[in-house]
Amino acid sequence: MMRFVFRRLIAMVLTLWAVSFVAFAIIQLPPGDYLTTYLATLSANGDRVDPATIEALRVQYGFGEPYIVQYWKWFSGILFRGDFGQSFEWKAPVTTLIWGRLGNSILVEGLAVLVMWFIALPIGIYVAVKKYSLGDYLATIAGFIGLAIPNFLLALLLMYLSFVWFGTTIGGLFSSEFENARWSLPRLWDFFSHAWAPILVLATAGTAELIRILRANLLDELKKPYVTTARAKGLSEWKVILKYPVRVALNPLVSTIGWLLPALVSSSVIVSVVLNLPTAGPLLLRSLTSQDMYLAGAIIMLLGVLTVIGTLISDLLLAWIDPRIRYGSK
Amino acid sequence: MGKNFALGLTGAVAIAAMMAAVGPAWAQQQSPVLDAAVASGELPPVAERLPANPLVITPVESVGTYGGTWHSALRGGLDNAWIGRTVAYDGLVRYDREWKEIIPNLAESWEVSEDARTYTFKLREGLKWNNGKPFTSADIAFAAELFSEPTYGAGTFMKNPNNPVKVEVVDETTFSLVFEKPNGVIMDDLASINGLTLVSLNKEYCSQFYPKYNPNAAAEAKAAGFETWELWMTDRCSWATETIRWANPELPMMNAWMIEEPLKGDSTRTTFVRNPYYWKVDTEGNQLPYIDRLEMRVSDSLEEITLMALNGEIDYQDRHIATVANQPIFFDGQEAGDYRLGENIPSNMNTLMLQFNMNHVDEKRRELFQSKDFRVGISHLIDRQEIIDVIFTGQGEPYQAAPRPESPFYDEEMAKQYTEFDPDAAAAAFEAAGLIKSGEFYTFADGTPLKITIDMISSFRSEWVDMMELLQLQLEAGGVDIELNNIDRTLYYEKRPTGDYDAQIWQGDGGLDVIQEPRYYLPANDESVWAYRWAQWFQGSRPEIAEEPADWAKEQMDLLNKLRSEGNPEVRNDLMKQILAISKENFPVIGVSLPGNGYYIAKNNMRNIAEPMLHAYLFPTPAPYDPFQWYFAQE
Repeated sequence: MMRFVFRRLIAMVLTLWAVSFVAFAIIQLPPGDYLTTYLATLSANGDRVDPATIEALRVQYGFGEPYIVQYWKWFSGILFRGDFGQSFEWKAPVTTLIWGRLGNSILVEGLAVLVMWFIALPIGIYVAVKKYSLGDYLATIAGFIGLAIPNFLLALLLMYLSFVWFGTTIGGLFSSEFENARWSLPRLWDFFSHAWAPILVLATAGTAELIRILRANLLDELKKPYVTTARAKGLSEWKVILKYPVRVALNPLVSTIGWLLPALVSSSVIVSVVLNLPTAGPLLLRSLTSQDMYLAGAIIMLLGVLTVIGTLISDLLLAWIDPRIRYGSK
Repeated sequence: MGKNFALGLTGAVAIAAMMAAVGPAWAQQQSPVLDAAVASGELPPVAERLPANPLVITPVESVGTYGGTWHSALRGGLDNAWIGRTVAYDGLVRYDREWKEIIPNLAESWEVSEDARTYTFKLREGLKWNNGKPFTSADIAFAAELFSEPTYGAGTFMKNPNNPVKVEVVDETTFSLVFEKPNGVIMDDLASINGLTLVSLNKEYCSQFYPKYNPNAAAEAKAAGFETWELWMTDRCSWATETIRWANPELPMMNAWMIEEPLKGDSTRTTFVRNPYYWKVDTEGNQLPYIDRLEMRVSDSLEEITLMALNGEIDYQDRHIATVANQPIFFDGQEAGDYRLGENIPSNMNTLMLQFNMNHVDEKRRELFQSKDFRVGISHLIDRQEIIDVIFTGQGEPYQAAPRPESPFYDEEMAKQYTEFDPDAAAAAFEAAGLIKSGEFYTFADGTPLKITIDMISSFRSEWVDMMELLQLQLEAGGVDIELNNIDRTLYYEKRPTGDYDAQIWQGDGGLDVIQEPRYYLPANDESVWAYRWAQWFQGSRPEIAEEPADWAKEQMDLLNKLRSEGNPEVRNDLMKQILAISKENFPVIGVSLPGNGYYIAKNNMRNIAEPMLHAYLFPTPAPYDPFQWYFAQE
C-alpha cells in the first residue's frame, strides 16, 4: 500500500510539472500581452500612454524574453519561494488574490457536491429498485430537465423569480453587513440564506447524471446471483441492497471524485458571474481575457493540483470500499 | 446642518461671501458624526481643519443636511473608474458644471506666462491631507520627481517625452510647472480626470518607498515580497485613479471621502467615510461632504446590480446599468423601487463610427479607401432611420463624425452631409471611385472581386452586433460585399500596426470634447484607426511604420500643433474650427446616428443632483456636479 501511494506521489509531481508547462504556454498563445489589453482599456477611456513608457513597462515585466526564460522565472519562484508572481492587472502579488477566492470555491462547490449526492443517491437507488415505476419516470423526467437547463439560465430564473415574488435580490454569499464580519452564528445563517441559490443551481446539473449512472450500475448488480443468495439467506430487502450491490455500484462515482472539483470550477464560471459569487471562476475568466498571465497560470496550476490530489484521494477511497481493488494491488 | 447655527440664512450667505475674501472668521459647522472625536480631542475643531480660504460651493438646489450612506456598485474589483467618477476627482483645478470654464480647486489661482511655457499656481493656504498633515508644493514636486523616473508610472502629461515638464517650488503654497515647449492644453489636462496624478502623492508617506529618499527602499521592497522598489511603490502609493490605490487605507488623500474598507482582490464590497479635513464648505459654512459614507458592492454580475437598482438598493448610479435595453424596466420600476430616472447628455457624437483603413498595405485597397467618392457612396447606402427605429427605438438622428449640437463647434452641414439614404447617389459615387458592377456586387476596375471585411468587437457594445448585421444587409443590397469579423479586443488592437485590415468600428468620441479627443477629425493618435500610419508620422512614435500623410492631413496636423502650444483659448477654438473645416471637406470617416440621451437612477430622497448632466470620460460624470453636496432629504 505504501509503495502504491509513493508511486502515485511521484507521478503527481511529474503531472503537475507538465500541467504548469502547458498551462503557461497556452496562456501566452493569444496575440498580444497584458500591456496590449491595458493600452486598449486606456484608449477606450480616452486616456493615452506614450510608447516609450509602454516599452519601459514591457522590459520591467519581462515580456520581451523567450518563453523558456519567462517560464523558468515563474516556476522557480513558485518552487523555491512559494511566489506565484505579480498580477499585472491588480498590481498585487497573486498569492494575496487567490486564496480567499479558492476557499470560497471549495466551500460553495463542495457543498454543491454534497447536496448533489444527497439528492442523487437515494433517488438513484430507488429508481433502480423500482424500475419502470411511476416514480422512476418522474425522477427521470425531473433529472433530465435539470440536466437540460443551462446553469446560468436557472440562476437568472431564480434571481428574477425571487425578485418578483419575494422582492429580494439573490446574489453574492453575504449581506452587506456580514461581508467583512467574523464568522458567527448570524453570519452562518446569512451565508446559507444566500448560498442556497448557487448550491441548488450547481447541484441540479450533476444530479441527473449521477442518478443515471447509479441506476445503470445497480441494475447490473441486482441481477447477480450473490443478491439472490443474500435474499435466500433471509436478509431484509434494504439490507441486501445497501450492503452489497450499492457498494459495488458506487465504484464509478468514487473514482471520478478527482475530476469533480475542477469540473465544478470550470462549469460554474458563468453561474458565478451571474450570481456574483466571489469564487475563483470569475477571477480566472477575467485574468484570461486580460492576459494577466501569472494570475491565470496560478489558478490553472492550483486547479491542476486539486485534480491530482482528488484523483489520489479517489484511488485510496476505492481501495477502501472495494476489497477487490485492495487485494489486487498487492 | 448644525442645530446651533446662530445666523439666519440670508445673513449667513452675505457674511460667507464677505468672509470668503477676508478669512475664516465665521463659525463653521461639521457633520454630527465627528462631534465625539472633536470633543475627545482626537480631532481638532472644524475651523482648524479647514484651510484659510476653503472652496465655497453653491449647492445645486439648497443647503443640505448631514448623514446617510450612498449605495452603489462596482462591476468587479477592477472597476476603478466608478471610484474616479465619485470620489477621486479633485485636481489642482476642475471644470465648472457647464464644462465650459476651468475653475479653482486645490489651487486658488494661477498665472500663465506670455510664451505659454510657465504655469504658476497658488495653492489654498492651510490645505490638509486626510491625516491632518499639510498639503504643500513639496508634494507636487515629489510627484513630478517620482514620475521623471524612466522606470516608474504610465500615462499623463507628466511623462510626455515630446514636452517634458519640471516643477519649480517658489514657497509652501506656490509652484510653477515649466514646460520645455509652449503648452496650450495643460489646463484642460489638469481639469480632466487625467490631471489627478500631480496631486495624488503625499511626500512624507510615499518617499519611504523611494530609493532616493530611503536608501533601504529596494531591500524593504524585497522583504515585502516585491521584486523591485517600483512594484512596492505602485502597491503602496499608486496614483490618480489606479485600482491598487484604493487598496491601501494608509495612503493619504485629499478627497471628500477616504477609504474605510479597502478594495482588494477578494473584496465583495468597499466603503468610504467622510474626510474630516475636506477643504470645501457650502454657502452657509457647513463643511462638505453632506453624505457620511459611501458603500459600493463589488459584483461581477450585471444582473445582480440591475436587480439591486430595481429593488431600491442603489442610491445613485448610471454606470453599467443605464443601458438602452434596461430603460423600459427601470422606467416601470420607479414607484416600487422608490427611485427616479434623470437625464444624461452623452459626450459621444455617434453610436458607431465606420472607419475604412486609408493606410492599407494592399495598394488597390488603400487607393479605394482613400477615395472620398467611395466613402460618400457607402454613406449614402446606409438607411440610418431604419437603424435608429429598429435598434434605438427611434432615439437619435442621422449623424456624421461632427461635434454635437450642444458644442460651440457645431456645424449642421458637417453633421448631416451624405446622411440621406440614396442608392442612386451611391451608385454614381462608386462609379466615380472607379468601381464597376458586374453581377450582384461591385468589383475593382480590373474585375478582381471586392469583399470588404469589417472588424468588430461585440463584447464592448451589445447593440453593435445588431447594428452591424443591419448595416451589412443595407450595404449588400447596394452591391457592396461585406463580411463581418467579430474578434477579441486584443486582436483588434494588434491588427492596427500591421495595416492589414479593411475597416474597424468604434464609438463616436469627440462630440463635446472636440479639442481633447479629435481622433475622427484628423489622424491625431493611435485611435485614428482610419489613418493609423499617418498618425504615427504625426506622433513620431513607431517610425518603422509611419507614412507621410496626404497634404490635407498634414495641414490639419500643423494646425493641431499650433493649437497645442497656444495659450489663448479663443485662438485655440479658431484653430480647431479650421481643422474641422478640412475634415468636413475630406470626409474621412462615416458616422451612423447621434446617440439619444442617457439616464441615471437616483433614489427619490437624494437631492442636489444637477439636471441634465453632461456625460463624458474626461469630464468624469457625476464628479463635476459635486456629489459631495448631494444629500438625503429627511422625510
